[in-house]
Amino acid sequence: MSQWFVLYRKEWLELIRSGKLIWVPVVFILLGASQPIVSYMLPEIIAGAGNMPEGTVIELPTLTASGVMVQTLQQFGTLGLLIIALISMGTVSNERLSGTSAMILVKPVAYSSFVTAKWAAMLTITAISFGLGYGAGWYYTAALFGSVSLLAAAGSSLLFGLWLGFVGTVTILFSTLLRSAAAAAFSALGAAALLSIATTLLPKALAWSPGKLTELAAAQLMSGHASGLWPVVSITIISIIAALALAVWHLRQHPSIEAV
Amino acid sequence: MDAISSEKLLILIAPLIVLQLLLMIIALVVCARSKDVNGPKLLWVLIILFGNLIGSVLFFVFGRRSS
Repeated sequence: MSQWFVLYRKEWLELIRSGKLIWVPVVFILLGASQPIVSYMLPEIIAGAGNMPEGTVIELPTLTASGVMVQTLQQFGTLGLLIIALISMGTVSNERLSGTSAMILVKPVAYSSFVTAKWAAMLTITAISFGLGYGAGWYYTAALFGSVSLLAAAGSSLLFGLWLGFVGTVTILFSTLLRSAAAAAFSALGAAALLSIATTLLPKALAWSPGKLTELAAAQLMSGHASGLWPVVSITIISIIAALALAVWHLRQHPSIEAV
Repeated sequence: MDAISSEKLLILIAPLIVLQLLLMIIALVVCARSKDVNGPKLLWVLIILFGNLIGSVLFFVFGRRSS
């Protein structure tokens, strides 16, 4: 276990040295806070656009506070997801290409600790960034639209955070399987998009799919409770564990990049 | 909706502007100090200055060669 903490501390140091620990939370805060402000300013932005024909009336639906929070989550679901995939795309493959992983793995270090330390570091930065960003969104929504109950916001953040963690885990898996970091990010984002679309198209058949997490988070915000929660959550956690196991197994089979 | 005056809105937005500038400055400092930039340095400075949030993110993700 102490060995695992050494590896985790190395990942942590890497997050600090590369500046990720600073810029990722800042970007998430800006993302989360800008959505309520843009929603608030939208009537003025449209009025100021100036290229409307005379007498145009645009009926904007009145936004509720929880509706704005759902929009904020959608921001995290697109740009936030992209950033998480981009920062974790090279976690394993870059170290294998540069030879760092070989230096570590010749020592008596378990492959599982090697992968899970990276995974835990990814989860840490995701949790910090998303927590701060969502908190900022919550704060600005409360200031501009009215408060959303803390319980609903916290519940939805847990559900959405699980989805972000799931996609991050898939990125690490692809980073182990594939040689190129860009291909890993592309595959992970593609898999996430495919899962979301399939879940929307086949809601009955895929009622357990992790792609439903975003929908559940929105339902949690709007109505305070999400139905059909536990199958989705348990399937997601099981697939995260399975993805990690697959990554460890693959790394054990092909420790050096030449063997891939 | 009109309960909040534009002045108050400015006070609300001010921390975000500061945060955005901070991100830009960090990106510029990192860019200036790093020896191995992926592509011409001047181009990255322009991207960071004019690309707002996206410009800084692009620099942090793709700008530096990890060695």
